[in-house]
Amino acid sequence: MIKVKNLHKSFGDLNVLNGIDEHITQGEVVVVIGPSGSGKSTFLRCLNQLETATEGEIYVDDELITTPKVNVNRIRQKMGMVFQQFNLFPHLTIMDNITLAPVLLKKMTKAEAVKKGEELLARVNLSEKANAYPAQLSGGQKQRVAIARALAMDPEIMLFDEPTSALDPEMVGEVLDVMKDLAKSGMTMVIVTHEMGFAREVASRVLFIDQGVVMESGTPEEVFGNPQNERTKNFLSKVL
Amino acid sequence: MAEWAANFSDLFYKCFIKEDRYKLLLSGIGVTVKVSLLAIVIGILIGMLIAMCNLSKKKFLKFLGGIYTDIIRGTPSVTQLMIIYFVIFATVDLDKWIIAAIAFGINSGAYVSEIIRAGILSIDKGQAEAGRSLGLNAYQTMTRIIIPQAVKNIFPALCNEFIVLIKETAIVGYVGLMDIQKAGDFIKSATFIAFMPLIGTAVIYYVLIKILTLLLGRIETRLRKSDAR
Repeated sequence: MIKVKNLHKSFGDLNVLNGIDEHITQGEVVVVIGPSGSGKSTFLRCLNQLETATEGEIYVDDELITTPKVNVNRIRQKMGMVFQQFNLFPHLTIMDNITLAPVLLKKMTKAEAVKKGEELLARVNLSEKANAYPAQLSGGQKQRVAIARALAMDPEIMLFDEPTSALDPEMVGEVLDVMKDLAKSGMTMVIVTHEMGFAREVASRVLFIDQGVVMESGTPEEVFGNPQNERTKNFLSKVL
Repeated sequence: MAEWAANFSDLFYKCFIKEDRYKLLLSGIGVTVKVSLLAIVIGILIGMLIAMCNLSKKKFLKFLGGIYTDIIRGTPSVTQLMIIYFVIFATVDLDKWIIAAIAFGINSGAYVSEIIRAGILSIDKGQAEAGRSLGLNAYQTMTRIIIPQAVKNIFPALCNEFIVLIKETAIVGYVGLMDIQKAGDFIKSATFIAFMPLIGTAVIYYVLIKILTLLLGRIETRLRKSDAR
């Protein structure tokens, strides 16, 4: 579904990604872990072209997307993204946050989008908030709306960029529960997170990224239970 | 006290009632309002255009926008008004007040563009990223997500610019228009009385701007209502 070949990204003199090769297949839940500044968020942001790769190729459904010729807007419609800071639109109600893109991009009529929005809000347990504004919601509720908003476009892949890092501890669970449900439903997901318990439970594959390269990749049992790489061992000993 | 009051009413009569001089001030108000309103509209249009240039990724547009703002800010508005009136529009057959309004609009546009640019840049980068990540293009993201939020930040500074603009129009006498300031000045020359016409001029400007401030304040309150907290 997503093939990454020799992906490099640098910001000026700073080399953040130093050659990543990765293949993410349909239905996989890939959890990306690694120390701060290791390049995991940049890797995720390259996947939907919020960052432009300096070198290398990314294919989505066998289509090369790391070329100026491709219509990034069309590619992004296949990939939902959830941000650390939620990034809900504060001037719109929750329902309008969810229906804006599907209606504007002519994927659905307004009525269809609202119906879909109601289903999605029910799924994230926020039906009663449809007419509220983002400022009236707690962090955990905001993030659940953000997930619903991304799902409204019927994406094939969901990208999560540290979705629980900006939350108060007691709200982390509710967001992870929604993500677990999503994983169970067979959604292809790439998740950058520091929640190791969650990674162990939900991931079909764990990637450990450090210094801009994938140091280790495997099932949660392999990576957490029996890490091969020195850096992985070192990192896990600090966070577990 | 009585003597002072008698003196005051005598001055008032000489300056404003005698020879229907109040009519000069009334038509002066008309000129000031006309010029200001058209200039505000022109200023907003130019301001949006220049702001787009300044925010553009294209180097040439950025350069153009930069030069415009630089020249307008670097020269006095009186000079700009006179150049536009006596040089650029010298051979064009347009009403005086329209030419003056164009001059003030061109001047105001430079300041408005900076206000709009700052307002748009004040919106968190994550908002644009969220819009783009849903598949909206840059234009849709700008019009549906960034601008609706930026308007609330832009509005108060824009009101301030309108007020500055109205007061700035007091220099249109330089190109022969009889606005409030010029009318007051005319009465001063005709009567050899300085106090009454000049204070009168100040009061008229003050009241005009007070009315505008109250109106704009109401609009701002309405804008803020959607800030549900």
